[in-house]
Amino acid sequence: MNASTMVFYILSAVILGGALLSVTAKKIFRAAVFLLFSLIGIAGLYFYLNYEFIAAVQIVVYVGGIVVLIIFSIFLTHESGRDMKEPSMISNLFAVFACCFAAALTYLFIKEEHFNATPNPTLEPSARNIGTQMLDITRYGYILPFEAVSILLLAAMIGCIVIAIKLKPKE
Amino acid sequence: MNSEFLILMKQEMGVTLILFILLFLKIWDGIKENGILLHLINVLLLLNFLLGFVLNQNGELFNGMFATNSLRVMEKSVLNLGTLIISLQAYDYLKSHKHLLEFFMLLLSTLLGMFFMISSNNLLMFYLGIELSSIPLAAMANFDMDKIKSSEAAVKMILSSAFASALMLFGISFLYGTSGTLNFQELVSLITGSPLQVFALLLVFSGFAFKLSAVPFHLWTADVYEGAPVAVTSYLSVISKAAIVFVTLSSLAPLFSHLNEMWYHLLFVTIILTITLGNIFAIRQDNIKRFLAFSSISQVGFILLGISSGTATGATSAIYFLVVYIFSNLGAFGVIALLSSQTGKENISDLKGFYQTNPLMGWVLAISLFSLGGIPPTAGFFGKMFLVTAGAAKGNYVLITIAALNMVISLYYYLRVVKAIFMDKNETPVEPLRGSLSLRLALLICMIGVVGTGFAGGFFEHIYQLAAK
Repeated sequence: MNASTMVFYILSAVILGGALLSVTAKKIFRAAVFLLFSLIGIAGLYFYLNYEFIAAVQIVVYVGGIVVLIIFSIFLTHESGRDMKEPSMISNLFAVFACCFAAALTYLFIKEEHFNATPNPTLEPSARNIGTQMLDITRYGYILPFEAVSILLLAAMIGCIVIAIKLKPKE
Repeated sequence: MNSEFLILMKQEMGVTLILFILLFLKIWDGIKENGILLHLINVLLLLNFLLGFVLNQNGELFNGMFATNSLRVMEKSVLNLGTLIISLQAYDYLKSHKHLLEFFMLLLSTLLGMFFMISSNNLLMFYLGIELSSIPLAAMANFDMDKIKSSEAAVKMILSSAFASALMLFGISFLYGTSGTLNFQELVSLITGSPLQVFALLLVFSGFAFKLSAVPFHLWTADVYEGAPVAVTSYLSVISKAAIVFVTLSSLAPLFSHLNEMWYHLLFVTIILTITLGNIFAIRQDNIKRFLAFSSISQVGFILLGISSGTATGATSAIYFLVVYIFSNLGAFGVIALLSSQTGKENISDLKGFYQTNPLMGWVLAISLFSLGGIPPTAGFFGKMFLVTAGAAKGNYVLITIAALNMVISLYYYLRVVKAIFMDKNETPVEPLRGSLSLRLALLICMIGVVGTGFAGGFFEHIYQLAAK
């Protein structure tokens, strides 16, 4: 086992351990913090694969944004200090079954699949290349999805404002 | 590129343009009268609908991320017409609404999403189109700001559509992982039926079934339909469903054409469950919006029956049925919208003796229900007939028998409403309703559609010509 494989297994242990602790934690706030570890582990996996840009996005969006949002909403809505209800024996049992089944299924899929696909086009995944491609209108440019996403964000903002805004009652 | 780009994307451009006009109208805040704004919007929507008839051209843009042909242009025109009818029907509801312009901005962004989805030739654009067409809809379901049920509908909608998107995205990532491409044409030959790809088919199909509210992914439908304002409910049940069916026909089914055995088995189970459970639940409903929700679930089963044949005739009959379904469902929803906005009543029992006070509206509702039930001479009869005939081409008579039995069951509950309208005695029937001119115009269009589409024999042929290409 060389160093690279070791790093991979350590990262996997962090991801899976974080995920397992997150679902078994008694306090919901702790569950959110364990989720954080799992997500950082995934970012590490991207670094390991030399996808620096995606790793950075993973940290900024998931670790920095979404987990913070989850923690905020836990503080706003839930009594974060209190222990959660103990799940029943039956649901524990089925959870274990589901996990074993999923693991077996995943193993079978990976065993059967050869994964000889090469991404088309093969490009250096640097931030500069990604940025250029995103606004490129020539071959393999992604300007259309980029614009569609902007409309989606505009619509989402309008929707949020309409729902959240409180109009002053007219006299 | 350049001018070609404007012509090929004309309908998308039209919708975006209207979206921005509305945005600037909102910022300018010059027109205070909601009625004038609504008429202006309807004229814009009409122009956008007419745009579908000029400068039609086939082609691809952005390296195959966007592709269009005459069939896709026609499908978009159908959606445009449906949106226009809904906008006309919503006149009474929106006239006093504070967020009229936002309503249309969200509506048009979902329409744009559907257009992108229909024209997508690439999994990325397709996924973005689906998101664009479902996230703003959740905000629209919340437009009855002071009703708790409306908020509940919005929350249920956003959660279920997030779940559906997650499933679909999981499937898409498997497809990309095994093939290395997102382009539909390249994917078709690379989908060979390895276990991972079969699993991907299952996941993508589940996502679609969620959006179509096919059983067993239908649980959100009734609550969302009941809680959302009638205009949004009709949009959900007609336009967004039609868009998903169009995409299934033009992209999903061809994409998995190498796995057609699997595809047929999936559809087989879904169809039987969808038609039967939709019907059984529809019998028990008293709230008319819930009733129409379950009836629309069962209608989706019939549409899938047409799709399952996998031929151009099947595709044509599904598109034809959807056009008829848009007219008949919107006819029913138009009357319900009027009833709900003027009296606040939404139950079938409130419709007892409806004919005594509102003979015209009673007829409109009855004809729409006849068409939904598939009673001749309405177009619904021809639609159902074509669908079942196309489905029978595979020679699977179990499926056809179950579908035919369910058509009989569905007649029972449609006619139960018609009986309430015409025959049931009621001491205090609903007072005479007075619809606005635009609502009546919309209902007139629907009635012409329901009766006319059935007799305009060339229409089916026309769609067939486009679909067979």
